[in-house]
Amino acid sequence: MSLFNAISISASGMDAQRIRAELITENLANADTTRTPEGGPYQRKDAIFSSAPLQASFAQTLSEFSTGTPEGVTVSQIAVDDSEPERRYLPGHPDADPDGYVAFPKIDPASEMVDLMSASRSYQANVAAISSVKDMIARSIDLFR
Amino acid sequence: MSLAGTGLELGRFLSYLSQRQEVIASNIANADTPGYKARDVAEPSDFSTALQAAVVEAPGLPSRNDGNSVNIDREARLLAENTIRFNLTTQILRSQLKDIRSAIDEGRAS
Repeated sequence: MSLFNAISISASGMDAQRIRAELITENLANADTTRTPEGGPYQRKDAIFSSAPLQASFAQTLSEFSTGTPEGVTVSQIAVDDSEPERRYLPGHPDADPDGYVAFPKIDPASEMVDLMSASRSYQANVAAISSVKDMIARSIDLFR
Repeated sequence: MSLAGTGLELGRFLSYLSQRQEVIASNIANADTPGYKARDVAEPSDFSTALQAAVVEAPGLPSRNDGNSVNIDREARLLAENTIRFNLTTQILRSQLKDIRSAIDEGRAS
C-alpha cells in the first residue's frame, strides 16, 4: 500500500534529521571539551545522509524495479572532523602543552546553530508530509461510510 | 455499468496520486542528501488503461553545489496540490457510490 510507504519514507527523513540534530547539540555541548576517552580535545561530528530504498516485499520491489523507486534517507556515516584543533594560550590549564597552549575543539557556535535550524525545518517538512498523508488515508476510509 | 466504470478510473487516479505522494515524501526526506535528484511521476495521458506510472527525474530543476536538486517550496506546493486533488477525487467517488446505493434502494433512501 503506497500511502503507508509514504509515511515510512517521511519517518526515515525524521529519523535522519533527529540524528543530525543530536550530533549538532553534542557539538555545541562539547564546544569547550578538552578531554575525551580517545584522548585530545573533542572533535566535531556531522551526519552524512544517503538515500536508501525501504525494506519492501517482493511484489513491491518487483513493481519498483519497473517504475523506479521512491527512496527514504538514512545516516550512512557519522563523519568526524579531524582538522587541527584551535590552540589557546592558557598556561595554568591542566591540559596545557609545555608552551602553555591548550587544544580546544574547532566548533563555531553560529554555524552549528544554523545547521540546527536547518535540521529542525527539514524535520517539520517531513512531519507536514506525514500529516497530509494521514489526511488522505482518512479520506479513503471515509469512502466506506 | 457506466457508473462502476467511472469509479474504476477514479480509483486508478487515486492510486496515481498516492504513488505521487510517495515520491514527494521521498523528495522531502532527501532534501539534505548530497547528490539526490528530485523525482516526479509521469502523469499518464489516459486513466482508462491501468498501467503503473513511471518515476522520472523532475526536469528543469537547478542543482545546488552538493548536487541535490530538491526545491522544498516546490515539494510543499506539490504536497498541498496532491492532497487537494485526492480529497476532490474521494468526494466525487463518494457521491458516485451514493448514486449506486440509491439505485440499489430503488431511489427510496436518499
